[in-house]
Amino acid sequence: MDGGAINLYSAEKNNVFTVVSVPNIGLLENLGIRLGTTISLQNRYAFGGPVVLRVEDAYSVALGKDVASQITVKEAGL
Amino acid sequence: MSHGHTKRSSQDIRPNERILLMGNPNVGKSVFFTEFTGIHAISSNFVGTTVNYMEGHLPVGDAEFSLIDVPGTYSLTATSEAEQVAVEFLKEGAKAIIFVLDASNLERNLCLALEIRQYNIPTIYCLNLLDVAKRRGLIINEKLLEKELGAPVVPTVAVKKHGLDELINRLEYMLKKPEEHEEISCANCTACAFHKAGEKADVWCAAKDIARHVTSNKNKTAEDNFFDKLGAASVKPWPGIPIAFLVMALLIGVVVFGGRGLRAAALLPLVNDLIVPFFRWLFASFIPEGIFLNILTGEFGIFVISFEWILALVFPYVLFFYVGFSFLEDFGYLPRISVLFDNVMRKLGVQGGSLMYSVMGFGCAVPAIIGSRAASSRKERIIVTAAICFAIPCISQTGALAALLSAHSWWLFPAMIGLGLLIFIIVSFIAGKLVKGKVDPLILEVPNLLMPDPRSYGRKLLTRMKHFLGDATGPMMIAILIAAVFAESGLLAIIARHTEPLVSQWLGMPSEAVSALILGIVRREMSVVPLLALELTNLQAFVGGAVSLLYIPCLSVFAILVREFKLKIAAIVTVSTIVIALFVGGLINQIGQLFI
Repeated sequence: MDGGAINLYSAEKNNVFTVVSVPNIGLLENLGIRLGTTISLQNRYAFGGPVVLRVEDAYSVALGKDVASQITVKEAGL
Repeated sequence: MSHGHTKRSSQDIRPNERILLMGNPNVGKSVFFTEFTGIHAISSNFVGTTVNYMEGHLPVGDAEFSLIDVPGTYSLTATSEAEQVAVEFLKEGAKAIIFVLDASNLERNLCLALEIRQYNIPTIYCLNLLDVAKRRGLIINEKLLEKELGAPVVPTVAVKKHGLDELINRLEYMLKKPEEHEEISCANCTACAFHKAGEKADVWCAAKDIARHVTSNKNKTAEDNFFDKLGAASVKPWPGIPIAFLVMALLIGVVVFGGRGLRAAALLPLVNDLIVPFFRWLFASFIPEGIFLNILTGEFGIFVISFEWILALVFPYVLFFYVGFSFLEDFGYLPRISVLFDNVMRKLGVQGGSLMYSVMGFGCAVPAIIGSRAASSRKERIIVTAAICFAIPCISQTGALAALLSAHSWWLFPAMIGLGLLIFIIVSFIAGKLVKGKVDPLILEVPNLLMPDPRSYGRKLLTRMKHFLGDATGPMMIAILIAAVFAESGLLAIIARHTEPLVSQWLGMPSEAVSALILGIVRREMSVVPLLALELTNLQAFVGGAVSLLYIPCLSVFAILVREFKLKIAAIVTVSTIVIALFVGGLINQIGQLFI
C-alpha cells in the first residue's frame, strides 16, 4: 500500500480524500465510489454505525462499517 | 426474470409507440411524468418482477405516444431488479428516450446516459434541477453539452414547469427528423472516442470528461436554503435522532388524530345516519323479517358492518397513513432513518436499509415482504419478514388498535407501541441468531430534501388508495360475510362455548371475543374490530390488542409467504404467530390479574 493510505472508516471528518482501493461491489461503483474518486467524510455514527460521505462534492452516500473499512483512502493532494 | 414480453397493460403498445422516461433515482423523473401525462396513468407491474412502473399518454404534435416512467437506476449492469427492467425496456426498443439529468450531479448522471446511448435510440436530454446547481455555484454550458452528446439538451426546472414546453417542441422536431439530431456538429471531444469503446471504465472517463468540460464553478450564488440545512441536520446523529423520533411521532399523530377526526366528523354520521338506514329501509321493503334479513342488515349484517368497518374505520386511517408516508417518501426523508439507525439494526443482525421495509410494513405487509426482495441476502429477508409478521401491524390494524385502545385510556396505545417495539427487537434478534448466512452492509445514497411536487404527490396518493381498496375490499368482504353468517346464525355462540377455556379463562376475554380470532385469520384488522363492539376493561382491551398484534398476519400475507419462501416457512411463521400470540396475550392477562 502506498504511503499515507488509511482506512476510510477511521479517516478524519471533513478532510478531503482520494480513494486508493475499493472492494469490487457493483453498487459502490454505480454510486461513483471508484479508484481516484474524491470524497470527504461528513458524518460518523457511534456503536459501529455507518459513515456518510460527500462524493465529488456533489452528493452524499452512506456506507456501513463493514464496507467502509474495506476502502482505503489518502489525503487529496498528497 | 422474464424475457421479451413485458406487461399486461401495454402488451398492445408496440415499441415504436413508446417513449421511455429514464434517469438516475431522485432526479425528479416522476414530476416530468405527471406534468406530461396528467392525472390519468396506469401503474403496472413488470411481469416476473416486483418492479412497478407508470405509464400514460403523451401527445407529441399530431402523434400519440405511451410515456413509460422507467424505474430510476444508477447503471445498466442489471445488479438490481429495477436495472433488469430498464435493460429489458431498452432491448425492446422505443421511438425515443427522454433522459433526465440532474444538473447538480452531472458526472454520475452522464454515466448512465452514455451507457444508454449504446442502444441507439434517439434521445432528448433535460438538464433538470438547474436551480439547485445554480445555488451550488455550478454553471453548465448546455450548448456545449448538446455538442458533446450529439443530441438536444433542454434546461428545465420541472417542479416550476420551466422548460417543459420547449422539451416537447424539440422532441416533436426530433421525431419528425430523426436524422437531424446527428447533425449537431461534433465538438471533437472525448465522448467521440467513447463511441467505439464499450468498456465500462471508458464510460466513467467519458462522463467525467464531459462533465468537467461543460461545467464551470462560480462562487455560490446563494446560501444553503432551509431544506439544504434541514437535510444536512437530519442525517447527523444530533439533531438527526431526535428529529427522527419527532417525525415518527408526528406520523403516528397524523394517522391517529387525522383518522379519528375524519371518522367522527364525516364518516360515522354518513354511515350511521345515511347509508345504513337506507339499506335497512331498502331491504326491509321486500325481504320478510328473519335470519336472511338479519344477515343483510342485522346488527352484524353485511350491509351494516361492511360500511361501518371498511368505510368508517379502516379507510380513514389508511388514508392518513399514506398522506404522511408518501410525503416522507417524496420529501427524501426515509433514507435518513436507515442511516441513523443502521448501528442498532446491525446489532440485531440486519442493516439500516431494511428499516425501509418495516416502515413500509406499517402500510401493508404484502408490498413490504415483496419489496424486501431487494435486500441483498436471504438472511436479511427472513429476519425482516419475521419481524414484520410478528411485530408490525398493518395500517388498518393500527387504526383499529388506535380506536380500541384510545377509547379506553390514553396510555394504552403508546404502551402497545412499546410492546410492538420490544417484540420487534426480540424477533429480529432471535431470527438473526437462527438464520445462517451473511448480511450485506449498508450502501445508500442520501438524497437532498425536496418539497414534493403537489401533483405527483397527489397522484401517488390516489394510486395507493386505489390499490388498497382494490386489494383489500375483497378479503374484507369475505371476513364480513363470515362474521355475519356466524353471528346471525348462532354458530358463533356454539364456537364461543367450546373455546371458553382458552378465551375466557386464559385470555380473560368475553367468550364472544373468539370471533376476533376467527376473522383475524382472514384480515389483520378483523382481529380487532369485533372487540370494538364489546364492553371491555382496560386490561381486556390491551390483551386483545396484544393478541391481535402478534397474531397470524392475514391470508394475503400467508399466500405471499408461500410464494416467496415455500410452504414450510409460511407454515412455521403462521403456527408460531398464533401460538405465541395466545401465549403472550394470556401471560399479560395472568400477570395483569395479579395487580388488579
